[in-house]
This record gives sequence, C-alpha cells and structure tokens, in this order.
Amino acid sequence: MSNVSVKVLLFATFRKKYGSKELTIECDGTLKGLIESASRILGGEFYSDVYNSERGMVRDDLIFTVNGRNIKDLKGDIELKDGDVVAIFPPLAGGINSSKLIEV
Amino acid sequence: MLGGYMGRILKVDLTAGTLKSELISEDIAKKYLGGKGYAVYILYNYLKEYESKGISPSDINPLGPENVLIFATGPGTGVPGFPCSGRYHVMALRSPLTGSIGSANSGGEWGPFLKFSGYDMIVVEGASEDPVYLSIVNGVAELRSAGDLWGKNVFDTCRILSRRVGGKNTSVACIGPAGENLVRMACIVNDEHRAAGRTGLGAVMGSKKLKAIVVSGDEKVPVANPDEFREVSRRCLETMRKNRVTGEGLPTYGTSILINVINTAGGLPYKNWQTGVNPYADKISGETLAETYLTGRRACWGCTIGCGRVTSVPSGPFQIIGTEGPEYESIWALGGSTGVKDLDAIVKANHYCDEFGMDPISLGSTIAAAMELYERGYIPKEDLQGLDLRFGNSAALVEAVWRTAYRVGFGKYLALGSKKLCEIYGHPELSMSVKGLEMPAYDPRAMKGIGLEYATANRGGCHVTGYTVSAEILGIPEKIDPLTPDGKAKWAKLFQDFTCVVNSTVNCLFSTFALGVKDYADLLSAVTGWSLSDGEILRIGERIYNLERVIINRLGFDGKDDTLPRRLLEEPMPEGPAKGHVVELDKMKEEYYKLRGWVNGVPTADKLKELEIEL
Repeated sequence: MSNVSVKVLLFATFRKKYGSKELTIECDGTLKGLIESASRILGGEFYSDVYNSERGMVRDDLIFTVNGRNIKDLKGDIELKDGDVVAIFPPLAGGINSSKLIEV
Repeated sequence: MLGGYMGRILKVDLTAGTLKSELISEDIAKKYLGGKGYAVYILYNYLKEYESKGISPSDINPLGPENVLIFATGPGTGVPGFPCSGRYHVMALRSPLTGSIGSANSGGEWGPFLKFSGYDMIVVEGASEDPVYLSIVNGVAELRSAGDLWGKNVFDTCRILSRRVGGKNTSVACIGPAGENLVRMACIVNDEHRAAGRTGLGAVMGSKKLKAIVVSGDEKVPVANPDEFREVSRRCLETMRKNRVTGEGLPTYGTSILINVINTAGGLPYKNWQTGVNPYADKISGETLAETYLTGRRACWGCTIGCGRVTSVPSGPFQIIGTEGPEYESIWALGGSTGVKDLDAIVKANHYCDEFGMDPISLGSTIAAAMELYERGYIPKEDLQGLDLRFGNSAALVEAVWRTAYRVGFGKYLALGSKKLCEIYGHPELSMSVKGLEMPAYDPRAMKGIGLEYATANRGGCHVTGYTVSAEILGIPEKIDPLTPDGKAKWAKLFQDFTCVVNSTVNCLFSTFALGVKDYADLLSAVTGWSLSDGEILRIGERIYNLERVIINRLGFDGKDDTLPRRLLEEPMPEGPAKGHVVELDKMKEEYYKLRGWVNGVPTADKLKELEIEL
C-alpha cells in the first residue's frame, strides 16, 4: 500500500488535550496506520484514546468518520485515499456499546 | 393518595373568571399517565363536546376563547430522585402557527413547583377581557389583574411576580410582548430562560389575556413504594452518571456540541436548507462557544446533567451580559439557517427570543425563508423598510428579531411564520416546514429516518417527537446507517411511542440517552405502585400517539399532510457525504403506516380497538 496524505480534524476535548484542530498526516492508507502516524505527532496517548489494541479496531465509543461517513456504516476494509478527511469526536455523544438501552 | 400525583386538576374559565378543582382519575392516569398523555385525553373530550354542540373542529379559532390550553405535569415530575424530572408539557387544541394540535415542553423549575403548589395540571378555557395572571400558592388559586404587567418583557414579569409571591419554591411561566402581540411563534417562558417553545402557545396565552401563571408551594409528591423507588432511582442515576452523553458530553458542552457532529455528517441545513454543509460551522460550534462566551452552566430542577449554558458577550455591537443559551437548535436556526456566522450576534438574537418570548427555531427559519425570498427577488426591497435581509447579515438578523416581536415594519410578515410568509410572496415551496411547523436542525437527505419522523410527527416538523438522530448519527441505542431508508419506519415508530411515555411522565428526553424503556417501567411502577412492564408502557405511548393522531385527523390533517418540503424530496443534496441524496419518503411512509395500523395517515378502527381507545 502506498503512502497517502489525509486531513485529520479533532473536536471537543481532543482539541484542548492535543492542542490542535486540524493536521495533515502521511500514512499507509489503513486506519491503524493513520492513528499510529498521528500518535507520532500528538503523543502516545492519542493512540490509546482512539484505538482499541485488544480488539484491533478504532474504539467503539468514538464518532470516527471518513469524508463524513461514520466508519460503522462503511462496509469492508477501509482504504484511505489522498485528500480524505477524517473527523474524530471523543466519546461524548454516542457509541456507548450498550446495545439495548431501548428494548425493541 | 395515588403515587406520583397530587390528585387535582385546576380548571380555569377565563371568560367567567371562575376556578374549579377536579380530581385526577386513576383510570385515565393508568391509560394515559399524565403530562402530554392526560392532556391529549382531555383535549379529545373537548373536541367531542364541541362536535356534540355542532361546532366543527375546523371552526375552532386557535386564537379564540374556544381554544383550550393545558399545562400538565406527570407522575415523575417533582419526585426527588426521578432522573431529570423538572419539566412540564403544554398543549392546545389548535396551534395558531399550524392549525394542528399545539404541543410544547419546558424545563426549569415551574413543573415541579406546580406540583408542590398542590396541582398536577391546569386546564384553561375561555378568554379574559382584561389582562390577568393566575396565582397558585399552596393549593390556593386566584385570578388577579395583570394590568401592571401587560407590556413587560419575560424577565421583568418573572422577577416581579416571584418577588410578589415570595417563598422558596416559586416559579413563573409567562408570555412576553410576542405573546401579547399574537406573534404566531410566540412561546411560553418560565424561569426567565426556559421555554415551552414550539407551535405558538404563547400567542394562545396572549389571546386569552393570560399574562402569567405563578406557582409556589411546599407540598411533597407522594411515592407509592419508597424503598423500591430508592433502589431503582439509585440504579438509574448511576447509569446516567457513567453514561458518556449524560455524564460527560452534555454537562461539558451542552447541546451545541452537535453543530460539528451534524455538519460533518452533511446534515446541518445552511441558508434555508439549500445545502447540508455549513462552511462556517466551526465558528458557531459548541467548541467555539466554550472558548468565547460561555461563563457557566445551569441545570433544571432535579437534573444531574446540567446542559444549560450561561453566556456573556462582554463587548461589541452585540454585547449582552449574563444571558443563557444559545442551544444547538437556536444556534442553527438563528445562525446556520440564516448564514450568520457571528456567534455574538446569535447569542444576542437568542437573548431577545427569551426576552420577548419567541421560538428561535420557527423565527430563525422564517427569517431564513425571507432571506431566500429576498435574494431570489420575490420580496420587493421596499417591503423590507430598510431591513437588509441578505444571508449572513448579522445586524439584520438581530433587528428582525425585535421587529417580529413587536410586529414592526416587515416584522408583521415574519410574525406569521414561514408558511404564511412564503404563501404571501407566492413561493410556498420555500417554507421549510411540515404541517406549518418549521423543521429543526437536521437535514433528512443526510439522515433519512428523521425525514419520516418530521413527516409523521403529529405537531408538525419536529425532531423531539421521535429523535431517530440518536440511532442514525449518535449510535444510541445502536448505530444505523443514516443514508438508507431501509428499516427506518420501525425506529421512527419506536422513538415516537417511547417519547410519548417520556413526555407523559413528564421528564427530560435527554435521560433516554442513558435510560431505556425497562428503566422507565421500573421508575413508574415504583412511583405509582402499578406494576408496569416495558411492553405495557410502550403500549401506553402508542395509545397516546394514536389518540393525538385522531385529534389532528379531526382538525383536517391526514396522509396528504404527512410530507416534506419539495426541496427535500426532489432537490438532491448538492455536496458533502449525502451528495446526490433526496428523501425516499413514500417508501418509508408505506412501511410506517403498515406498522402503525394506519391508512392514509388515519388510524383504523381495529387499531383503535386494539389500543382500547374509545371514541
């Protein structure tokens, strides 16, 4: 997989914590690779804030979008392209891993 | 005494100037709870009585003495430990904005304090010749002259009446100049900054010359099974504390954190819904508000979330010190929809909405519609009388707010709401409303379920009749794809039925980010002493939604009105993640009607029988 350049937008508490709203990241095109590359700039804690190493996936309690589409709604492996925009919201509004808050 | 209820309804006849106390019926409470549900039941019976006297529902003038206004709490309201139970619901037979049923909900302290004054509900009929206010203090209710209050703004009215009555648990719900002037989107404001905002109920109060209702008292709400309730309450409050939304997100950022979330999803309507992507969203976001004008937060009675924002604009042309808000919806309506990107102007415009008593959603959307009409050349410049209503003009926005409240100049047209305004200028398609009620801040081309919800909401274009955004965008209780219409009917129905339970309990919808149907069943069972299962309370919610639907059917609304503005059905979203999408409403509606047991937006006799609704 060749390297791609992706714009990463941070929101809410992540902005204050990492002192950045927007950064451009070069990575291998995978989500894991993107988060690893961003962690080299923002610090190791970013990795654990965003990635669940045990499950090998982006943390379930974030809103994590690629070009506005939540990755939970995208089918198959996600391959980032040059110029893609990734938005990351901390776990403040959703995805709390409780599937039956409302008993359907 | 019935657990959760004070046991009494105050009936006020403003024409005769009489007051009467009636008992809460346990049979009706078991079928409709309280709040919205009990009020819908009462309104239906008024409609039946009018019909028996030969008065057709369509002849009821929303601003005439025959309209009925109900202030209602429920069995959860004012019970210490019942999560987020500081709210009350207001309903009217007809909204002066839409002609459909009037319905709105507010927080603050007024709801609990009404119960502490000794009553669960107030039913207001008739109209007074001179301005009056209603005072209820420890069970003693009186109508008094409001001659000295008429013309005063919301803040003055709240403060004067609070001081006059005194006491610890005292709260005032009132109208400002907008309600007095029968502005169609006038609201009822309590505790200075909390509003029963939608469907123009402030104008109904104004038409009845009822300036305010002040409540005060020290009575306690009885709880049927205190030990059981303590345990359920502890469990639910702990769940809310640990929940990311109710325990962290809403307390830290308030509702305006959604500006960037919804804009990222391509569903933040911009410039009267011409697109769902606002290039300046971050300038008016919750994050920016927190960095600039936010000075504190405020919670409603009994609330552990505290989403309310306290703000100040310290200097500049839009200076305002010590106000509250704006919330997500008001930032969007006064800012995003109008293309205004100056947050200080939005804070000021929102302050005026509270001061004069107007719904910022309907007002902002109406101003946005006027801006599009003007920019397209449909409103002659001379009609605006100097108001430069171009998208993005902050000064014109703030000017338009007070002009509307006082119906000055072009304000007299804005005061009619977007539907009437766009009809007057020959382009009804530019009113972004459903059943005459302006839609809130979610473009359904980017989240299809909320489109079905807007179309089928009984009170009109409304998100809090059934907040499918919770599942489509926030992933609560589970994540569903916003861009597909598939499966949305089930969610819209579920959210609508459950919301009826919440609004009849009456407490805050935000609790449902953490608490589910089972939690509500347990809380209500412990408070009332009835044994309610989750299935049973959803059935109560469905019953309420269907009886409300019967009322709007009688008022002339059916399947033809369960629709969306043409822009959302035919104009593809021009950009963003939902680019190319329109709302596939017919497909979702067919599935929804089937699930509801409705034909063309009308409940069948079998469905009503199944829900034990006797007409």
